[in-house]
Amino acid sequence: MADLPPQPVRQVARIAQQDEAELVARAVAGERAAFGLLVERYAGVARRVARAVLGNAEDADDAAQDAMLSALVKLEQYDARRPFGPWLLRIVANAATDRRRRRSVRRVEPLDVGLTAGGPRPDTIAERRALNERLRLALAELPERRRMAVVLFDVEGYSHGEIALILGIPEGTVRSEVFHARRRLRVLLADWKEEG
Amino acid sequence: MKDPLPFDHRPDLALGDALRRALDPGEEGHAAFIARVLARAEQVRVLSWDAVLARWARAGVAAALVVALAAGYVVGRTAAAPTAVRPSVPDVLIAPPAHPGEVEVVLASVIGNN
Repeated sequence: MADLPPQPVRQVARIAQQDEAELVARAVAGERAAFGLLVERYAGVARRVARAVLGNAEDADDAAQDAMLSALVKLEQYDARRPFGPWLLRIVANAATDRRRRRSVRRVEPLDVGLTAGGPRPDTIAERRALNERLRLALAELPERRRMAVVLFDVEGYSHGEIALILGIPEGTVRSEVFHARRRLRVLLADWKEEG
Repeated sequence: MKDPLPFDHRPDLALGDALRRALDPGEEGHAAFIARVLARAEQVRVLSWDAVLARWARAGVAAALVVALAAGYVVGRTAAAPTAVRPSVPDVLIAPPAHPGEVEVVLASVIGNN
């Protein structure tokens, strides 16, 4: 019996897309469980993207929640031929950016030099937290679009083309933003590794 | 973690993992977040149904107004139209005959029989 070929990634993605289109159709028809599944599937990425923009976890959750509810209201406008993730994340990115603009009165805390320029190796949970804080602060230093681009690419695994759709910028700009963000963040991570 | 090539198309797994840990709000918060969104979604649904009903109500009121105006117009026209007045019995008796010769013919035949 011949071995079955591995299922191509694109095929898996297409199945997921069909599945999501169906979930959206059911959610539009008023099925609560279908919307619940979509929320469950995208809550993590929505919260992370919002946090990359806003820094603060509570604000990020509020923005992600607003975006999800806004998506629910606009669900009928979603084109089922396109992937759902980028459509939703565009709403999330816009919600987070809006919130950031609105709270512009609240200043971003100045970066702690000790945190951004090195520190003890995170052998303990506390040190792991310190590294996370350093990364968040380093992210906060980057321009907003660059932040979102690197998170969507390296954390969430979206393609340059999909990120271009989410952020509404050309694909070449996405590549450039990811490159510059990585250059800054990799220095930080390399320092941490060398210190260990 | 090598020095990045310009426009590297592959995700950097090490950087991605570190960023994910830094941005992840935690599992327990995850469930609470989903519950909160779904609870709010119910309110949004109710509000949107209210909006739909309100839209229909506005349309209904407008349609009823149009129907009432149309009915008023029709009734008004009917009332204003000249109606034929039914003659009373004395009027009929006093009024001159429509065909003057008929009465004489009838009378002459009655008298002639007698």
